Amino acid sequence: MNNIDDELLNKYLDGELNQDEKDLVRISIESSLEVKKRYEALLKAHNLLNSIEEESPSIDFTKLVMNKLNKRSVIAQQQKYFLLSILSLLGLVILGITGYVLFQVISSMQPTQSSEMVTTYTKDLGDYISNLFGQKNITILGSVLSFIMLISGYFLYDYQKHSKKNFSH
Amino acid sequence: MKNLTDVEIIESVKKGNQADFSVLIDRYKNKAFTMLKRMLKNDFDAEEVLMDCFLKAYNNLSTFKFESKFSTWFYRIVYNSALTKLSSAKRKIENEMSSVDDLHYLESKYLADDFIKEDNSVLIKKIVNELPPKNAAVVSMFYLEEMSTEEICEVLQISVSNVKVILHRSRNLLREIIEKRNLFQEVI
Repeated sequence: MNNIDDELLNKYLDGELNQDEKDLVRISIESSLEVKKRYEALLKAHNLLNSIEEESPSIDFTKLVMNKLNKRSVIAQQQKYFLLSILSLLGLVILGITGYVLFQVISSMQPTQSSEMVTTYTKDLGDYISNLFGQKNITILGSVLSFIMLISGYFLYDYQKHSKKNFSH
Repeated sequence: MKNLTDVEIIESVKKGNQADFSVLIDRYKNKAFTMLKRMLKNDFDAEEVLMDCFLKAYNNLSTFKFESKFSTWFYRIVYNSALTKLSSAKRKIENEMSSVDDLHYLESKYLADDFIKEDNSVLIKKIVNELPPKNAAVVSMFYLEEMSTEEICEVLQISVSNVKVILHRSRNLLREIIEKRNLFQEVI
């Protein structure tokens, strides 16, 4: 009867024993006061653990989590718009440069009669752009563009840092 | 909506119905909070970690492939987040040996004369609240969430026999205390 250890009693309680083992434990409980006391104490521990009630977080917990999720969605959308505006700006710059290069290529070609009129109209615009990208202005224009890109980069970094902070709190 | 299964709710959230996620929160917040409170021994930390767990679950819902139950997947997030919180607070994460030491400490503490007059159920609650983190997690999942030892082993990423060892040790601790306290009462 002394070989009824705690492990066996636990398994008996959880219904993990085969029929022979079950019978052995049952007989031990019935015949030995010591085993009976141990088993009853174990059963009481099991019942007390079963009866412990769950606890709740603050009343508005669900609302708080949902607010955080909603806020996160708004921030994600704002980030999307911000990225789009940066990309649009860069797109415009690239488009301008491409336009200028194309103009230079077209104006270097021999004008035909059909394209003469278009060339005349665009010549003024071309001159203006040439001036803009001329030796004197190119440095200023480059600086302005770099400045815009730097500012955009800073805001993008700051925005991401801010939203990361929001997610973690 | 409250009668829907976890799978149906997750599918709805994945389709863009963010508000449906609140049903999952309501369904799991109390049990997960109880487990976290027992592991972290602190209401404030438990609530903070629980909030983080729900945000993580929402963010990673797209990676949930329905291969296991949502509860198993979610409790794994909860358990791992609690361990991270414990380690970030530079608290020692118990290993098998220190768990046993902690259990011995609890046993000798609650067998002391100071607790003789306390009601058993009050005392058990106190002891459960002081169990080492891993034992507290196993007891919570087994008794509160009524998870099987197989599901618990999936959450804790340990073997079924280890889960049983932890569960039996926790139960034996309480048994010892109940048994010895009854003997004390008989002597008195």
